[in-house]
Amino acid sequence: MSIWGLVLILVAIGAAAASFIWLALTLNGSPRKAKDSTDALTHGAEQDVERIFNEEFREELRNRGRLHFEKIIGENAMFLQQDLRLTTSELNEYMKSEITQKLQEEFAKYEQSITDAKTLALESISKTQEAIEEQRQIMGSQLLKEIDTEKQRLVKRFEDNMADIVNHYVLMAIGDQIDLSDQLEFILSDLDANKEAIIKDISDGA
Amino acid sequence: MAPNQADAILELPLSVVSRVDVGRLLREVEALDSFLKQSAIREPGTPIKLPRTSRLLDEMVQNNKLNVLHEDSRQRLTSFLEEVRNHAPTLHMSFSADPSPAFTQRLITWLRSEIHPIVLLQVGLQPNIGAGSVVRTTNKYFDFSLRSRFKQKGDVLTQLLKEGSVAQ
Repeated sequence: MSIWGLVLILVAIGAAAASFIWLALTLNGSPRKAKDSTDALTHGAEQDVERIFNEEFREELRNRGRLHFEKIIGENAMFLQQDLRLTTSELNEYMKSEITQKLQEEFAKYEQSITDAKTLALESISKTQEAIEEQRQIMGSQLLKEIDTEKQRLVKRFEDNMADIVNHYVLMAIGDQIDLSDQLEFILSDLDANKEAIIKDISDGA
Repeated sequence: MAPNQADAILELPLSVVSRVDVGRLLREVEALDSFLKQSAIREPGTPIKLPRTSRLLDEMVQNNKLNVLHEDSRQRLTSFLEEVRNHAPTLHMSFSADPSPAFTQRLITWLRSEIHPIVLLQVGLQPNIGAGSVVRTTNKYFDFSLRSRFKQKGDVLTQLLKEGSVAQ
């Protein structure tokens, strides 16, 4: 029995008592009498109520209400627990799927970013290599040109100073080999050839 | 300015080559003159020891037949050497190597016989001339070196070298 059934029973009992009191009051004619009879009826009703709704009955009603309440609470708690478990598992599944999806999306974006960066880096490296190769070719041609110019300059300088170089080489080669005594005749002949100029310069003086 | 007639009688020995030699000789004659003058005022009979003379002075005295014990000779020698030191013409000659004394003597002999009887010689060293000599007088410069000859004939050498390189 539910608590609502118990309440209905109590309401029915109260209505029967009220109708019984109203009937007693209606049957007595005089107000004094009626008042006394009403008091007597009220007192009797109270006694009946006290007798019917005694302490044991109330305790029984409280126990039954408590048990029913606990049962309902237990049932609701169980339903709530089931719902909670279901909700939790659904929530977990939802979270898992959402997180997985998000992670997959992020990973895809990250992979795309890496791919783009790699492509950019490769393009940059390729351009740099092309620029280096171009610069190397330019520098190589410039270097060859410079070398050729320097070579031409050295050859021209050598040709211009060839006589001096040979003279210097000969002088260095034979300079120490010719004895001064062997040169005496040569020196004296030179002096003899310029004798007049020397005498004139000495005679004129400073 | 040439030396006067009295001094011109004397001749410089071949070992006297440069102005330094003349100066050295002059100092030696002055020292000898001073020593002999001091000896003259000493007490007679006191033994004296003559200073040792150098080879230059010996040659000078012998060649000119002088007696340095006579004051006139010393005076003549001194005035001649002073004249030479102050007024003798000097030739500067450079060679590729240091000349030997024999070489220098032959050269100075030729110079004093052909150029001037009391000419002095200042010898220098220029290893880069190769061979020959470079002569410098008071106002002139004569380059008799092999280097100079090569330089003068440089065009011919260049031409020959170019022809040789083309032929190869």
